[in-house]
Amino acid sequence: MFVAPALLVLALMLGYPILQSWWLSFQRVQLQAGRASETWTGLDNYIRLFADATFLQAAANSALFCLVEVVLVTLIALAVALLLNHPLGRGGIWKIMLIIPWAIAPVAHGVLWKWILNSNYGILNGLLMQLGVIDSYQVWLGSPVSAMAFLLLVDIWKSVPFIALLLLAGLQRIPQSLYRAAYMDGARPGAAFRHITLPQLRGAIAIAVILQTIWSLRVFDIIFVLTSGGPADATVMMNFMAYRTTFNFLDIGYGAAIANVIFIVTVLLAIIYIRLLQPREPGAAK
Amino acid sequence: MSYERYRSGGLGLKTGIALALGVFAVWSLAPIVWMVMTSFMRQRALIVRPPDFSPASFTLANVTKIIGESDMLWQGILNSAAVALLSTAIALALGAPAAYALARLRLPKAGAISFLILATQMLPGIAVAIPLFLIISRIGMIDHIVTLALVYLTFNLPIVIWILRGFFLSIPDSIEKAAAVDGAGVVQTFVHIILPISRPPLAAAAIFAFVEAWNEFFFALILTRRSVQTVPLVISQFQGQYQTAFGQMMAAALISVLPVILLAIVFRNHIIRGFADGMSKG
Amino acid sequence: MPQIELRNVGKSFGTFIVCHDINLVIREGEFLTLLGTSGCGKTTTLNMLAGLEEISSGDLLLDGVRANHLAPTERDVAMVFQNYALYPHMTVARNIGFTLKMRGVSRDEITRRVTEVAQSLELGHLLDRLPSQLSGGQQQRVAIGRAIVRRPKIFLFDEPFSNLDATLRVRMRAEVKDLHRRLGVTSVFVTHDQEEALSISDRIAVMRGGVIEQVGTPEEIYLHPATSYVAGFIGNPQITLLSGRVQASSGQLSVVSGAAELPLPPDADVTPGQAIEFAVRPEQVQPDPKGHPATVTSVQPVGAATHVGVMTAFGPMVASLPRFARLNHGETITLGFEPAHMLLFDATTGRSVGRRPIPVRKERTGS
Repeated sequence: MFVAPALLVLALMLGYPILQSWWLSFQRVQLQAGRASETWTGLDNYIRLFADATFLQAAANSALFCLVEVVLVTLIALAVALLLNHPLGRGGIWKIMLIIPWAIAPVAHGVLWKWILNSNYGILNGLLMQLGVIDSYQVWLGSPVSAMAFLLLVDIWKSVPFIALLLLAGLQRIPQSLYRAAYMDGARPGAAFRHITLPQLRGAIAIAVILQTIWSLRVFDIIFVLTSGGPADATVMMNFMAYRTTFNFLDIGYGAAIANVIFIVTVLLAIIYIRLLQPREPGAAK
Repeated sequence: MSYERYRSGGLGLKTGIALALGVFAVWSLAPIVWMVMTSFMRQRALIVRPPDFSPASFTLANVTKIIGESDMLWQGILNSAAVALLSTAIALALGAPAAYALARLRLPKAGAISFLILATQMLPGIAVAIPLFLIISRIGMIDHIVTLALVYLTFNLPIVIWILRGFFLSIPDSIEKAAAVDGAGVVQTFVHIILPISRPPLAAAAIFAFVEAWNEFFFALILTRRSVQTVPLVISQFQGQYQTAFGQMMAAALISVLPVILLAIVFRNHIIRGFADGMSKG
Repeated sequence: MPQIELRNVGKSFGTFIVCHDINLVIREGEFLTLLGTSGCGKTTTLNMLAGLEEISSGDLLLDGVRANHLAPTERDVAMVFQNYALYPHMTVARNIGFTLKMRGVSRDEITRRVTEVAQSLELGHLLDRLPSQLSGGQQQRVAIGRAIVRRPKIFLFDEPFSNLDATLRVRMRAEVKDLHRRLGVTSVFVTHDQEEALSISDRIAVMRGGVIEQVGTPEEIYLHPATSYVAGFIGNPQITLLSGRVQASSGQLSVVSGAAELPLPPDADVTPGQAIEFAVRPEQVQPDPKGHPATVTSVQPVGAATHVGVMTAFGPMVASLPRFARLNHGETITLGFEPAHMLLFDATTGRSVGRRPIPVRKERTGS
C-alpha cells in the first residue's frame, strides 16, 4: 500500500507523542540524574494554570500578539496582493521580494533585527536620529510595550509575504469576465472592488486569517533571539513559556499541560480551516 | 473610460500604485540590504553614530574571516545540509506515493486522511516536543543527524503530501487509463508516467521541505547538543559570543541564509504555485 | 463466433445505476458505435469493455470466454481517448512505443514498429516532438498510432474527435474508417454525434439512460427506429413527433390528429382507439398540389437543401425542400407524404408500431 509508510511515520512521530503529552500533563515529572520519576496528579497541572500569573500573562500576551498580528498581516498582505495584481506590479522582481523573507531563517532574521534595533549602534536609532524623530538613542527592546511592538513588527515583516502570495493566488483566480461585466454594468472601480473582489476573495482571506493565527501562536525563534521573553516576562507567550517550563525549569508535566492548551487552540483553528477548504472538495465518494 | 483604464486606473491611481510599490520594496529590502552592507563594513565604521558610509569603511575582512576561520559555521552548514537533504529525501520517498494514493487510488476515507495529514502540519512543535525529547533521550539518540531528519518529517511529510496531492488531482485521469490500456500496472504508471510529469511540483515540494528543515530552530535547540548543531543554532550562539562584532555576525548570518535564498529565488515560480495554491485548495 | 458479448451487464455506483442490463453482441471485424447523449452510459460501457471500470453485474465474454476480471492488457484492447491522453513528457516515438516497452518488446523491435506505424500515419517526421509541439490533428494521429502499434484484437474509441474542429473531424472520420478497412480490427466507437455514428459504423447501438434502445445498421436505425426516442435523436433536421388516436373507418385505418385525419399504412400494427405518436422524415415530405395545406413558419437554407418548418392542420412539421426554395414566412404551401413513410410509435411505451422492419440482408463482416 502506498500510504502506509507515510501514515506509520506520522503516527509514530506525531500520534504517539501527542498521546504521551496528555499522559505527562496529568503527572508531576521530576528529572533526577537523567531519570524521570513520575507521580500521578490528575488535573493538578491544569488547575495550576488558572492560578499562575505568569501563564495568565503569557496567555494574554499570546492573545494580544495573535490579534494584532493577524489583523495587520491580513490588511498589509491584502494591500500588497492588490498592488502586485496591478499591471505595474506583475514583474518577476516582486515575486523575488516576496520569496526572500520566507526563505530567511527566522533565527537569522531575529539576529538581523536585533542588530537593527541595537540600542548603541542600531541603524534604526541612527536613522530616526538623523530625521530628528528621536533626540537620543532608544533601548527599543527595553520596555514592555515597545518590546512587544517590535516583536510584532519583526514577525509581521516575515509573515506578510506569504499571506500576500496566498491572497494574490486568490485574486488571480477571480475570472476577468466578472470585471468586464461590472464595467459593462457601469460599476465604478471602487464598487467593483467592493462587490466583486472582496466577496470573491472572502474564502482566501478566511484561510489566510486562520493560517496566520496558527502561525502566530507558535512564534518562538524570534522571541528566543530578540527578547528571551523579557523585559520582565512582558514578551513571554504560551509557546515560549511551555518551552521554558519544560527545558529550563524541568517542570515537564506542567510544560506539557501548557503545550496541550496550545494544541487544543490549534486543533480548533485547524478544524475551522479544513471546514473552509472542504466545500470545494468533491469528497472521497467520487 | 476605456476598459484598460478601468482596470489599471488613471494617471493619478497609477502614480499612487507606483509609490506604494516603492514603499513595499523599501520595506522588504531595507533590512536585507542592511544585512549585506553590514557584512562588508569595518567594525569602527559601525560603532560610530551615525554609521560611517564612506568608501573606506567597506572591507571583505568580515566575510573572509568567517569563511576562513569559523569551523563552527562550516560544521553547522554541513550539518544543516545533511539533515535537510536526508529529511527531504525521506519526505519525498514516502510522501509521493502516499499523495498519489490519496489523490487517485480511490482509497476509502481518502479525503478524511488527507485533511488529517494537512492538520498535522499545523501542530505547534511544542505539542510533541516534550514526549519526543523524553523518548529520544531514553533511546540515546539525542544529538544525531538521523534523529533530527526524522523529526523534521513531522512537518515536511505533510507539506510534501499536500503539495503533490494537489497536483496529482489535477492530472486528467485519461492519462492513467491510457497507461492501463498500454499495459502498465499501478506501480509502473506511477514510475513511468506520473513521476516524470510531476517534476515541477516535486521540485517545489523538495525545495519547500529543504528550506524548512534548513531553517528549523526549535527542535534543533531541544534535540541536539554539540555535534549536530545546525545553522540556526550556530547563528544564535554567535550572537551570544560575538555580541559586538556586528560585521562578522551579519556576515555569518548572510552566509548561512544564502544557500536557501538562492534556491528560493531560482525556484520561486514552482514554490509559489505549489504552496500558495496547495494551501488554499481542497 | 461473436468476439465481444455483453450479457445483462450492469454498472452502478452505490445506488446510482449507470448501465442497466446491457445485452450486446459484437462480431469480429465489426465497427460498432455506442451513440447517445452525455450521461447515457456509453462511456461507462466502453470503460467496462476496456477493463477500466469494474462490471457490477452480468458477464462480459471475449471470444466466448468470461472476461469480467481481466486487466486491460489481458483483454488485448487498445483505446483512443477523448483528450488523446498523450504522455506529455514523452516524444511521439516514446508515446507510441510505451505500450510495447511495457510488454517487454526488444528495443530494436520497438523502433521498427514505431517507425512503421508512424509512416502509415504520416507522423514519420514528428517522432522526436513532444505532444505540446503538435497540432490537434497530429496529436489525434499519435493517439491512434499508440493504439495500433500493438496490433490489438479490439480498438476502443472514446469520443476521439470531440476536441477537433469541424473540418478536421470529418477528415479524421474518413481516416479512421479507412484504417478500419485496412486492418479489419473489431472497433467500438463512442460518440454523441449521430451524424458521425451514421457515417462511420457498421452497426449502431443507441443508448439512453443506461439502456440500449436499439441496435442496428445505420439504415435500420434511420429508416426503422425502434422507439420514438431513437427517431427523434437520429436525423438532421430533427423530426417533430405528433400525437393522435387511431381510428377505423370503412376498413381503412387512419390517425386523427388535431383537425385532420391521415390514412395509415395497411400494415401498421395498431388497433382502433390506440394513442400513438407519428412523424415523417423531412426529406420524405414533398411539395404536392393535392397535399395538406401548410403555413411556413421558418426557412433555413443549409446549402444542399432548405429546411422548412410548417404548421399543418395536424401540427408542426419540417420538410427538407430543394435547395434555396424561395418561400416567405406565413406563405401557405401544400405538402404531401406517403403513408408508408410514416414512423409510428405507441404513445405510452414509445415502441414502434409501424410496419415490421424488413429482414435485413445478411451482413458483411468487416465491410
